[in-house]
Amino acid sequence: MKLKQDRMSSAERIDSLFNYRRPDHVPITMIAPTFSCRNAGLPVRVAYSDPQLNFYAMQWAAEQYAWDQAPQIVRHTVVEAMDFGGDVRLPEGEYEGALMVKSYPVKSESDVEGLKMPEPDKTGMIGIAAELGRLQEAHGLPVTFVSRSPFTIASNVCGLQQFCKWLIKKPELCERLMKAAFDHTFNVLRYWADTFGAEKIFVFMSSPSESNQVISPKQFEKFALPYHLLYHERLKALGIKRFYFHVCGEQNLNLPSLADAPPWEHPAILSFGHEVDLETAAQRFPKDIICGNIEPAIIQTGSPQQVYELARTTLEKGKGIPGGFILSAGCELPVASPAANVFAITKAVDDFGWYAE
Amino acid sequence: MASEEKTREILKAIQDAVVGYDEETCERLCSSVLEEGIDPHRAVVEGLTGGMERVGELYNSQEYFVPELLLCADALNAGLNVLKPHLKIEDAARKGKLLIGVVEGDIHDIGKNLVRIMFEAAGWDVYDLGNNVKIERFVEEQKKANTDIVALSALMTTSMLAMPKIIGALKAQNPGVKVLVGGAPLSQEIAQRYGADAYAPDAVAAVKRAADLIG
Ligand code: B1M
Repeated sequence: MKLKQDRMSSAERIDSLFNYRRPDHVPITMIAPTFSCRNAGLPVRVAYSDPQLNFYAMQWAAEQYAWDQAPQIVRHTVVEAMDFGGDVRLPEGEYEGALMVKSYPVKSESDVEGLKMPEPDKTGMIGIAAELGRLQEAHGLPVTFVSRSPFTIASNVCGLQQFCKWLIKKPELCERLMKAAFDHTFNVLRYWADTFGAEKIFVFMSSPSESNQVISPKQFEKFALPYHLLYHERLKALGIKRFYFHVCGEQNLNLPSLADAPPWEHPAILSFGHEVDLETAAQRFPKDIICGNIEPAIIQTGSPQQVYELARTTLEKGKGIPGGFILSAGCELPVASPAANVFAITKAVDDFGWYAE
Repeated sequence: MASEEKTREILKAIQDAVVGYDEETCERLCSSVLEEGIDPHRAVVEGLTGGMERVGELYNSQEYFVPELLLCADALNAGLNVLKPHLKIEDAARKGKLLIGVVEGDIHDIGKNLVRIMFEAAGWDVYDLGNNVKIERFVEEQKKANTDIVALSALMTTSMLAMPKIIGALKAQNPGVKVLVGGAPLSQEIAQRYGADAYAPDAVAAVKRAADLIG
């Protein structure tokens, strides 16, 4: 769908943000691979198992709701527990919306010793993700690489609860798991760069296990932050320029140290949950494109009017952010969001999201 | 038999061991409770539970986070394992029985585990079904264990949709059972709409609500 007075294509709109220029209107981006499947009458598991169907479902949703796929956010390229040999199954039934971990690859301290590095071109869902990448390439979209932060990947290899205990009692085990997570991520990224070319890749990362709902800002600084720094050194060395960081959940206490020396190349897209105020985010990261942060629960359970009003006030806060702004849900768009509520966000942009020519 | 002064000293040291997540010391001190002839029930309530209450305060004031909380719970459990066999039946059964689980489709279980820990610390008999628990399993296990309360946790708007069905099925089987719900996307209003008997925003409040429910 085109909005009333579109003056730019979707790609131009995103390019203008990356060049610190105002686009024609505030872009809309969603993390919505599973919602898009439901939206097209497909089961949620398709988002994990069928790249063709999933790709076209995402394309239809993007057109229907005028989303700018900056980038097209697909399911994880690196699926932590699965890649390292855990037992993970596809979602099924009425309520499952994501992969279900049946058993973690690391259950005891000795499993950390014996952890084998996955093959970067074959393991887990990498084959499926590569097929999706080829479709994106063929349609002139950036090729997405989706992973979580090394801290989050490591915590999902042994289970977050075990990882939390080791942070205090056996930090050396956490370090080893994070190192393995980091190395695996870059082994796959190198394969991605060889397959698609570094200039076409758009890296997406999220970091839920680092949220202050789980760890302290000190633990963030000691364990998680060093890997963010290393991560961007390696991205730069690979020549990958575009980076989308979803700072998941409540991370207010982590922001000062993250903002102290943001390691990514500017601008990056930094997306925040409803837990982080957009003005605070913009002040902390003035050189980046701020994205967010409509509460997902309200998109699912509110009325279209409520969502429209929330989108309007979010636009009011975000539209003038000097580094640029993208309107989005505060995390993944819930699978069960009513279509009218999702449309209400688009309508709010059409009514209040335009910049003067 | 230890003097009151000595007893207080040991109970305070147990509290400190829980707060300092010192599993070994907590276990050793609980053994000394038995050796010194101190009432084990008092050691659970004033020592272990008292310690966990302080831990709850540290968590609420953001001095402790989930890693510390989990280790404090390990220390508490180490002590509890020593004392439990020595509690009299009427002590053990003085609180209610609770069945707890994370609903279908949801594997976020850290919050549920903290809720369980607080119930255990408060002396409840807890049956934990883990995460991604199917509706039928809640119904079956409630019948088997005949618990006073079923506690349902959900962290996602998608998975919380299973709650009204679970509550309906539980009440159809046993109209007397009370259902407590919680988790980040829930609210008092949603809990009421779903037919729950109570909602709690956090683990400490959950124990209070549950106690109110069974009067
Ligand atoms: C019965 O009575 C009661 C009473 C009180 C009760 C109660 C029961 N249960 C809880 N409480 C209350 O007491 C507790 C202590 O005081 C509190 O419990 P909490 O659980 O709230 O608090 C814990 C102590 C700490 N909090 C947490 O542990 C959750 C933190 C956040 C960041 C989070 C984490 C860590 C994780 N996640 Co995910 N994760 C998020 C979370 C953000 C958020 N806003 O909550 C949330 C829940 N996740 C989300 C998503 C989308 C997902 N996650 C996923 C996975 C994960 C990890 C595995 C990485 C990890 C979980 C590890 C684990 N074993 O639990 C996926 C789902 C997996 C699945 N099938 O379930 C996935 C779908 C992502 C994906 N695409 O794969 C979002 C859900 C959005 C929605 N639709 O509602 C989310 C809200 C993030 C966000 N900002 O939007 C209270 O709520």
